[in-house]
Parts: sequence; C-alpha cells; structure tokens
Amino acid sequence: MRVKLWGTRGSVPSPGPETIRYGGNTSCVQVTLSDGSLLALDAGTGIRSLGLALGDEPTRLHILLTHLHLDHIQGLVFFAPAFKPQTEIVIWGPASPEASLRDRIARYISAPLSPVEVRELPCDVSFRHCPETEWEIGPARIRAASVAHRGPTLGYRVSEGDRSLAYIPDHEPALGADLEGLDEDWISGFDLARDASLLIHDGQYADEEYPDHMGWGHSALSHSLAFARRVGARRTLLFHHDPMHSDDFLDELDRRARDHWKAAGGDPHTVEVAAERSEYDLPAGVTAPA
Amino acid sequence: MAQKPIELILARNLMSALSTPAFLVDEGGILVFYNEPAGALLGKRFEEVGKVGPGEWGAMFGPFDENGAPIPYDDLPLVVSVRRGRPAHAKFRIRSAEGAEHEIEASAFPILTPHGSRGAIAVFWPTLNGEDPE
Repeated sequence: MRVKLWGTRGSVPSPGPETIRYGGNTSCVQVTLSDGSLLALDAGTGIRSLGLALGDEPTRLHILLTHLHLDHIQGLVFFAPAFKPQTEIVIWGPASPEASLRDRIARYISAPLSPVEVRELPCDVSFRHCPETEWEIGPARIRAASVAHRGPTLGYRVSEGDRSLAYIPDHEPALGADLEGLDEDWISGFDLARDASLLIHDGQYADEEYPDHMGWGHSALSHSLAFARRVGARRTLLFHHDPMHSDDFLDELDRRARDHWKAAGGDPHTVEVAAERSEYDLPAGVTAPA
Repeated sequence: MAQKPIELILARNLMSALSTPAFLVDEGGILVFYNEPAGALLGKRFEEVGKVGPGEWGAMFGPFDENGAPIPYDDLPLVVSVRRGRPAHAKFRIRSAEGAEHEIEASAFPILTPHGSRGAIAVFWPTLNGEDPE
C-alpha cells in the first residue's frame, strides 16, 4: 500500500509564499493498493493535482468522502478524469436521512456554484452510501465509521494484509471527553485507528488556539497525540492544517509534536506534520509509546 | 470491547457536562452510562455500578408509584423509548442506595440514526411537589 498526500490543508485552500512547503490544497490522499487499485480519500482541491498526475490512462477510481464540507469535495469538478468517458468513478460517503449522497453532492455540482451538473459528467460515476460493515475494494478491506465532528462525518480504515491506514482528518474526540481516562470503547474513532500502521489525523490547532475553537470539530495538538497514543498508531501524520498556519508555524508545531511524543516515550521520528506531496510506504514498522 | 456508536459517545459526552440527571441505554436496553447528578440522586456513581443489563437496572432504584406499587420495567419511559422509538414521560418515585425516596419526573427520547436505533436517553428531575418553580 502506498500513500501520497495531495492536499493537507483544512477549511479553505490557502496558497501563497507562506504555505509552499506544507501546501495550501485541501484534503486529498491517494492510496495505491498492491494490485494497482486506486483510492482517493476525500476530494478537496488536492484532487485536481492527483487528476493531472494520473494522465490519460483509462482509470477506475474509488473516492471515499469523509463528509461533504466544501474543503472535502471542492476539487471534484476540477478532477480531470471525471471529464473523460473512459473513467469509472465510484464515490462513497456518509448516509443521511435527509437526501441521497448523489443529491447532496449535486447541490455543489450544480448552478450557480458549478458550471456543470452531475448528470453532465462524461465519466461513469456512481454514488454509494458506506455500509456499516467492512467491504472490499481490490485486495483491501475498507471500514467506515462515524466520528466526532460537526455533521455526519466518517473516518476510514484501509487494510491490506497486516498493513493499515486510518484516515480521520476532521475529528474532535476530546470534546467533552478525557482521552486519557476513558475506556477505549468510548473514544470516537478508536476501532478505526487501533494499531494502525499509519494514522492520518486532524491536527488543526495548537493547544493555545483550541479554547477559542472548542466544538468546531477539530483537535488540539495534545488531543491528536493522546488519541494516537491510546490507539497505538505506529506512525502519525498531523493533517488538516488551519489555513492561518504558515510553514514556519507548522515547523514549530512539528517540533512540539515530536518533543511531546518523545516525552511520552515514543520515537519522535514517527510523528510529523503532514506535507503536501509526501509519500509513504506501509508498514512503517515502528512502535508507539505505551 | 466493541466500539460504541458515535451517537452514544456524543450523548455520553454531553451528559457528562450536564447538571441534569441523565441515563443512557444502548439499542439492546443495556444501561451503559449515567452521569454524576444521576449518581448523586441514586446514591451510587456509575463507576461503582458499571454496565447493567435490561430488566436489571430498573430494580436498582425500585421505581414505584405514589401508592408504593412497583412500576413494571416495560412501562418505564426509557424502555418505552428504546423499544418503540418514541418519546415518553412519566412521574414516579425512586429509592436511592441510602434508602432516601425521591419523587421524580422522567423524560426519555430515542436515539435514531440512518442505520436504525442506537438506544435512548432519559433525563429526570425531582418533582416540585407543589412548590412554585419561580
């Protein structure tokens, strides 16, 4: 399993000279399975670059959406493969009692927000609600579960053999909860991330920023690390950067995260702030602090 | 240990922050949490009690009517809510672990999701017994 980050930013794209190293595109992670099957986790603006990288080859792709906030779907209408008739795209996402996944996405891919409608996309696109039980895509087992964020939001676990990727980009598991003291079955997202080879997790706020953003659906650094430690993640990427965070600020956050992890007994090389275009082979083969 | 559904996790987190006594049961009717104010009323913290199976938790505080007759488990608002997926309300008396009696009103509502029922929450208040709430 190979993982490439095409968008690591949260909330809104934030291009500019101050975000060159960590990137300004919103959430999108490419996962390439051992048989070549392609998954895109979320379709923020990062998916535009993924589409360009895929080139002209006929493509079958599964897009797994965590939720439908704009920073996770905004790239859909700029994803070049969607405009090629030879492309087959399956879009997975959370169910809602209010409307189908297709209808909810169509609110964005329609006038006046978009020049094209879903029905006009030349590719073969289908929409599926994520089941509550595990399912398979190629050689991988996929699990989706609702997690603590604002509105219906999923996290994903992608497993192939003994390797596993947990992707929970928008997550506030510490809202009203003590992550250190709670039993594991009461921690949002725990089963998705348990012993993950790679955990990609919300790390939007520095601890001093969190009090002003409590309940917004995102984590403070210490919450992200407490979650990673409780679930036993072997490697952790802090993701969904606040658009106000410059490269210099994220360098400092990265330093704090490694120091915190080391102080907890972990290997500081197994925690980092996610940078756009970074690539990872799974498994990482390292151990989380006890 | 199976992961609790997010709806129960969020409900517990909310209940933990409330001063209103509250109970939480899962879709099978198992009592999975009650908060500190409920513990104060019952005379026992949840941590001392732990998970309690359906049919058992009602007897913990012996709900009975104004004549002292036991209220059947099936008639408790929380049970009605989790079984029928409907809100329910009732006034009855309970007995704490120390033997103190309280007259309470309980309102229960179901936790329904696109994937079906996850359980129910009940909040309860001591009855005012004719006192003016103002």
